Amino acid sequence: MLEIDGISKRFGSTVALDGMTFTVRPGELYGFVGANGAGKTTTMRIALGVLAADAGEVRLDDRPLDASSRRRIGYMPEERGLYPRMAVGTQLRYLAELRGRSAAEARAATERWTERLGIADRRADEVQRLSLGNQQRVQLAAALVADPDVLVLDEPFSGLDPMAVDVMSEVLRERRDAGAPVVFSSHQLELVERLCDRVGIVRAGRLVAEGTVAELREASATEVVVDAPRAATGWADVLPGVAAVRTTAEGTVLTLADASDATLGTVLDAARRTGPVHEFRRRRPTLAEIYRDAVADHHPDARPRPGAAA
Amino acid sequence: MTGRLRPVALIARREFAARVRGRAFVFGTLAVLVLLGAYAAVLATITAGEDTARVGVTGPATVLAGPLQRAAPTEGVTLTVIPQPDVAAGEAAVRAGDLDALVGGEPARPRVFVESEPPADLERVLDDATTVVARDAFLTGRGVAPGALDAALAESGPVFVAVEPPDPQAGPRLGLGLAGAFLLFFSIQSYGAMVAQGVVEEKASRVVEIVLSSVRPWQLLLGKVLGLGAVGLLQLVILGGAGLAVAGVAGVLVVGPGLVTTLVSVVVWYLLGFALYATVFAAAGSLVSRQEDTQSVLSPVTITVLLGFVVGFNLLTSDPRGTGITVLSLLPPFSPLFMPARVALGVAPVGQVVLAFALTIAFTGVVLALGGRIYANSVLRTGARVSLREALGRARS
Repeated sequence: MLEIDGISKRFGSTVALDGMTFTVRPGELYGFVGANGAGKTTTMRIALGVLAADAGEVRLDDRPLDASSRRRIGYMPEERGLYPRMAVGTQLRYLAELRGRSAAEARAATERWTERLGIADRRADEVQRLSLGNQQRVQLAAALVADPDVLVLDEPFSGLDPMAVDVMSEVLRERRDAGAPVVFSSHQLELVERLCDRVGIVRAGRLVAEGTVAELREASATEVVVDAPRAATGWADVLPGVAAVRTTAEGTVLTLADASDATLGTVLDAARRTGPVHEFRRRRPTLAEIYRDAVADHHPDARPRPGAAA
Repeated sequence: MTGRLRPVALIARREFAARVRGRAFVFGTLAVLVLLGAYAAVLATITAGEDTARVGVTGPATVLAGPLQRAAPTEGVTLTVIPQPDVAAGEAAVRAGDLDALVGGEPARPRVFVESEPPADLERVLDDATTVVARDAFLTGRGVAPGALDAALAESGPVFVAVEPPDPQAGPRLGLGLAGAFLLFFSIQSYGAMVAQGVVEEKASRVVEIVLSSVRPWQLLLGKVLGLGAVGLLQLVILGGAGLAVAGVAGVLVVGPGLVTTLVSVVVWYLLGFALYATVFAAAGSLVSRQEDTQSVLSPVTITVLLGFVVGFNLLTSDPRGTGITVLSLLPPFSPLFMPARVALGVAPVGQVVLAFALTIAFTGVVLALGGRIYANSVLRTGARVSLREALGRARS
């Protein structure tokens, strides 16, 4: 279990992290989303001991992280980096040994991961001779080669071709199924929605929403789509319990202030008064929409939303 | 090897392997070796051709053969006397370059036939020989046996008592000292710069973030310095060994206790000097993120070392016992360059060596603490150059 507990960090006058808190449980794939500059990379760098926090603590299995327990984490930094003039195989073995593996373990793991990631025939080549996509694969192998108990990956999908995205997703699920806490950040929200057991949305250095995608949907305001072709514009504007109305290609989308049966009944009745109703349904927001809502709230002291499971 | 030192050993091994297999090391070492060999060959040819004068004698002057051969060693000349059948044959031999001079005619005032100008040392030998012939004739005419005078003169001459007896090995020792100082300067400059380049390469390629998520900054720094220091030492041993072999073959160096002391002190001072400079270079390198900026942070260090080296080298050649070089060899940043040279020259009292050693160790300790801190603070900062003040600021926990 990886716990990020109340981490704060300033760079000069800029507040990068402000009480960042979340937990990644064993066997859980955790998606970490947020705008550029929201604090995702800083959080990960602090977790890996590459940066020091001003306040707060990172714990692995209830113990504060130290130099030796950090070696159990497989890390893929946002800024990709490998020794350009070192051969792929030598480099992976070296990185595995630096994380405490024996020479034999390192060799076996290097062979296993280069084969799995389709770069086995490039083991003797210098990294700088590989294509960018293959360098990304080596980078992932570097994160996995020490057989880590935890994975922390910063934007692991950026720059990958669709095949590599599939391999990467498969590997992440496999590690999760093997019981490892896995956390990664990404801007590809459909991917996060599809892969992750839980999602944390970060804004301005703190978590503003967290939970399974279903929980986040529950917590976000209920929307109803009504397709009443003969309705006049503004038919729903003054209905009690309706917070906002917008017209889309699907029909009229009403954001409800409360999702009670009474409100739903009122809306349906109003719709039927305008003529035939072709469609009346609850709308499931995508993660992208939930995310936009969450990061659009600009209250400076926004807390995680009530109802968002911790 | 367990715990905290295994990563250090792994890092050192990587640095060592990466450099020793690198082209720069192999070709650089080979190039210097070839130069050394060529130099030795030239030196050997000059030595072989030197001071061997071939002098022909003919007619009455043939009696000069004995005095010429006796006079030659006192003037430091190797002389071969070759009797010639007649003047014409001898002169032809001079013209052909087979003889340096043909001596003929009256022994006390011979006619010397040379190609153009007589060599100065040969002239002195001839002078000595004719003087002996004239003197012997004069003495014999007055009934004195020349041998008796020679015996009496052989006993004469002053006896010098020196405060500091001259060292018969002074020349080779100076050569050894200067060569040592130069090799140390060369190794420290080139391998120190390599440490800086390595640090910048890791920063520029961002691999440092992966490495530092596995090991502490001090482990990375120490491993780097040890690995590259070992490469530098290897090259120092190869070049120094080749140099000594060349000097031995050329006969300018005699193996003795002085030589062993010098070699040990060169190696010990190299290790200390490298630790000192490599840390400075690593700290300087950690301030920048791009290879293009490396030179700007290294120049203040390299220029300081270069100036110190040039000044010290001049002081050492002009006055190895002077105050200037003594002071310079006691100042920690320059001790590693010049103390071994002074040890080689045999002009460094034990007290001074110990003092310089203690000062350098203390200074290196301070540099390691400050340099390690600058390195740890700046090695993960990318983008603009990190100012020294920022780098020395809050340490990373």
